[in-house]
Amino acid sequence: MSEIHNYNQSRPSSTRGSDYVWQYEYYDDDEPVSFEGLKAHRYSIVIGFWVGLAVFVVFMFFILTLLTKTGAPHQENPEPCEKRHRLGNCVVDIHCPQGDSLADEDKAFSRPLLDESRSFFYISKEKQGRGGGCGPHRVRGSLGGRSSFGLEEMGEAGEASERGDGGIDLQGLPEEGKSEREHSFLSHHFDIPNFVNSEHSSMTGEDDLLLCEPPALLDSQSCVQDGHHVIS
Amino acid sequence: MNDVSALPSNHTDCQVVKVPHLVFLVLGMVSLSENLLVVVAVVRNKNLHSPMYMFICSLATFNTISSLSKTWETLMMEFSDVGQLDSRGDSVRRVDDIIDALLCMSFIGCICSFLAIAVDRYVTIFHALRYHNIMTTRRAAAALAGIWALCGVAGAVMVAFCDATVIKIFFIVLFLISLLLILFLYVHMFLLARSHARKIAALPGSAMPHRSLRGALTLTMLFGVFVVCWAPFFLHLLLLMVCVENPYCECYRSLFQLNLVLLMSHAVVDPAIYAFRSAELRNTFRKMLFCSDSPLCYKVKALFH
Repeated sequence: MSEIHNYNQSRPSSTRGSDYVWQYEYYDDDEPVSFEGLKAHRYSIVIGFWVGLAVFVVFMFFILTLLTKTGAPHQENPEPCEKRHRLGNCVVDIHCPQGDSLADEDKAFSRPLLDESRSFFYISKEKQGRGGGCGPHRVRGSLGGRSSFGLEEMGEAGEASERGDGGIDLQGLPEEGKSEREHSFLSHHFDIPNFVNSEHSSMTGEDDLLLCEPPALLDSQSCVQDGHHVIS
Repeated sequence: MNDVSALPSNHTDCQVVKVPHLVFLVLGMVSLSENLLVVVAVVRNKNLHSPMYMFICSLATFNTISSLSKTWETLMMEFSDVGQLDSRGDSVRRVDDIIDALLCMSFIGCICSFLAIAVDRYVTIFHALRYHNIMTTRRAAAALAGIWALCGVAGAVMVAFCDATVIKIFFIVLFLISLLLILFLYVHMFLLARSHARKIAALPGSAMPHRSLRGALTLTMLFGVFVVCWAPFFLHLLLLMVCVENPYCECYRSLFQLNLVLLMSHAVVDPAIYAFRSAELRNTFRKMLFCSDSPLCYKVKALFH
């Protein structure tokens, strides 16, 4: 190998420079890569890489679609418990009329759905009842979920918080205005029978504002737990 | 950037695939105009001075810088091919180094901006109640300043020490870590949004089955485009370090310019994925592009609405 290079260098080369052309000749005479005797196709890495990438993207899409259609069954179980926990932290009064209004809910829904309707209504009533002060957190989460489920709405969930709160100065807005706006937004979209609304709106008017400030910290923590449950 | 010298023609060889300079120029121009539009729109509209749009603006700025440098480099290569420029001159090499530094800086900046946008969206979803306390404008500005400083230093260091293997390893590790972080953040957000949507769908009269596909499609597109555009380039870097003499790797490396085209096309697609999704930005574009305050504006609006 070195003899070849020396040979090239010692040859009289009046027209060429030394260093620059040396490198060029290195590539020219001494081919480090031999293409003889290839077992597989020479573009096999290229083909393998692109096929693998395409399979990965399609696989990811199907996994996500499957998740949307079926969902992980264990997701639903811990959540009502956490919601009760959060509810207990937030506003205690809501617990009391539960017994009365549950009977009404059973009339609204058919019998076979009794258990599920109870748990779902529990969650939805929480959203109603906590549409006041604790609400905004869950409301925005559900905004991100409901408005289209497209991720662009997650970017717009931040936007919606700006729009719904009249611009960027969220800190400047009164808590009551925010809660009322989101409460009406919720009831309008959720289309829940009025008896649920009327019972909770009167009770959770100011209690939420007082009782829910400290649990704001717990809210985010339990929501992180929620997220952890979702992932696990 | 790199330029592999062509091997003597042999039917079993992998010739370097050359992409015409016109393709790079067109891509560069399109990407430059789109991203510049995004930057100008965010700067001019006071409503868009929030952390979310600041991160999008930063991404658009990095894309602008990368398309500018790539276009400039293509022009210089075109001139040197024609013979107007001496490609071995000192000043040309220095300019080439500056261009490479700007390109490295913008690549790292793009990756960091994607991460920042993902973190911002994550905080919006999971800490929505305290979002405006966590993500203040001042903190976002500080984060952006940090990102820009880091990218500027990294770009300069990379070009100064570009022969060292550790630079390539750093680049690849940064890419992999960002990829995994972005995937984790978005999938977590997706799962939460999904569980909410399922609860809502369980209520009577609110079933929207077609929406469920849209979220999966959006996330796949966001992440898929990122991976498809960036991974080939990073695999090239990896193969440069790992298998220098392997003929299969050589064949992969011969497609380097195609991988660069993919990188540039990501700068073209980026505004469509991030910026143009926002209704506020779209309205700002319409106002900026079609009219400012003239009576013509209302007629044009009437046409479009």
